[in-house]
Amino acid sequence: MNREELISKWLDKNLNDQELEAFKNLEDYNDLITLNNNLQTFKADKYNTSIELENVLSIVRSNKQQSTTHWFNPLIKVAAILAISFGLYFYTTTLNTTIDTSIAQKTIVELPDTSSASLNSKSYLAFNKKNWENERNVELQGEAFFKVAKGSSFNVITKIGTITVYGTEFNVKQRENYFEVICYEGLVGVKYESQETKLKPGDSFLIIEGKQIAKEKESMSTPSWINNESQFKSVPFGEVIAEFERQYNVNFTLLNIDNNLLFTGGFPHGNIDVALKNITLPIGIKSNKEQNSIILKRE
Amino acid sequence: MAKQLHDNICEEHIFSSIFNKHSKDLHNFLYYKFGDLLNPKDKVQEAFVKLWQNCSKVSPEKAKSFVFSTANNLMLNEVAHQKVVLKHQQTKPKSYTNENPEFLMQESEYNDKLQKALSNLTEAQRSAFLMNRVEGKRFKEIAEILDISTKAVEKRIYGALKKLRKDIKEL
Repeated sequence: MNREELISKWLDKNLNDQELEAFKNLEDYNDLITLNNNLQTFKADKYNTSIELENVLSIVRSNKQQSTTHWFNPLIKVAAILAISFGLYFYTTTLNTTIDTSIAQKTIVELPDTSSASLNSKSYLAFNKKNWENERNVELQGEAFFKVAKGSSFNVITKIGTITVYGTEFNVKQRENYFEVICYEGLVGVKYESQETKLKPGDSFLIIEGKQIAKEKESMSTPSWINNESQFKSVPFGEVIAEFERQYNVNFTLLNIDNNLLFTGGFPHGNIDVALKNITLPIGIKSNKEQNSIILKRE
Repeated sequence: MAKQLHDNICEEHIFSSIFNKHSKDLHNFLYYKFGDLLNPKDKVQEAFVKLWQNCSKVSPEKAKSFVFSTANNLMLNEVAHQKVVLKHQQTKPKSYTNENPEFLMQESEYNDKLQKALSNLTEAQRSAFLMNRVEGKRFKEIAEILDISTKAVEKRIYGALKKLRKDIKEL
């Protein structure tokens, strides 16, 4: 075995007894041992594994709490809040504003410009605040009196017809089988079955069960219901009863009475007994009231 | 393969066992390769903290090479072109306690030479050689730590020894 191999085996601590003897007989044995002994002074610093492990684990634990919550999570929270609030903002601002009135309830709705609408009982009104500057569109079911500020065209959209105005006061009444527009000031265009009718102050446009009915000039400056009164001029009795039901939350049963009988007169809101007399006495019929149901019959 | 999926370094006891297995070797490797001026302990710590942060991406089999290359890179970032100086520990082996002054002087001269010679070795040679001589590791163990063949370890260590002896004679 040559010298190189011996040294190599010594390095690897792989010498058997025989080889060890041979190694000891090498001329540079002493040199190697001296070198080896001196090398021991270069030993690495003591490394205490368990203490170092504690250090690492404590760093790791404190890092875990910090690094994960440090900036990422708050950022996500902020982003989520922004996203939600922007979403809500856009949703609510583009949403239509709606107003409902129930039986015997009236309200005044201020529209985004100085226009206003008074809403009679059992009516529904919707408009879009956001889009108001581009188009002044109001959706209506029921009856409302509008005071429209001057400006671009103002549309009242109902199931039966659309009313277009430019700055005026007018009343729209759209009930079942009944559609009436009365102009109090300015100029009102009523579009009904693709035909437009222009109304001047005092003019009215009335459709009952699909038939247009001529009416004489209106002399009042506001509709009667604004003053808590319902006034009728040659209106079928059935519509009078329907209006009564809307104002007092009662049900009528008619015995021997013609629905189409034309009625002229009125009744006040707020006093059912007086109101009942007002609609029965002039045409000579009797009424029988039991809680919420009223029976009318001709004698 | 399915079994490996369950072994996750993110669990503290697995992480700890990996630490216990490799941290000392890593520390000594860094110490012999780069000397003590660059705080091998800190680098070991940093490397293992990085291992923890990447615990879900590193499989336990890869953990050793991960910390070794991480620590090595951390060292290299700091080394620049600094010459490595190994600290000469003052604690001497017991067999040398009763020496006469002349011998002590020779001894210290010899040690100075040895230190210079050691710092003249390449990093690869020095780390392998000192792990073998000082830590008493066998070629095969060093080969595992360094991820190289036993033959290559032998070559490095033998080459280091040869160069050392030559340098000491010349100095």
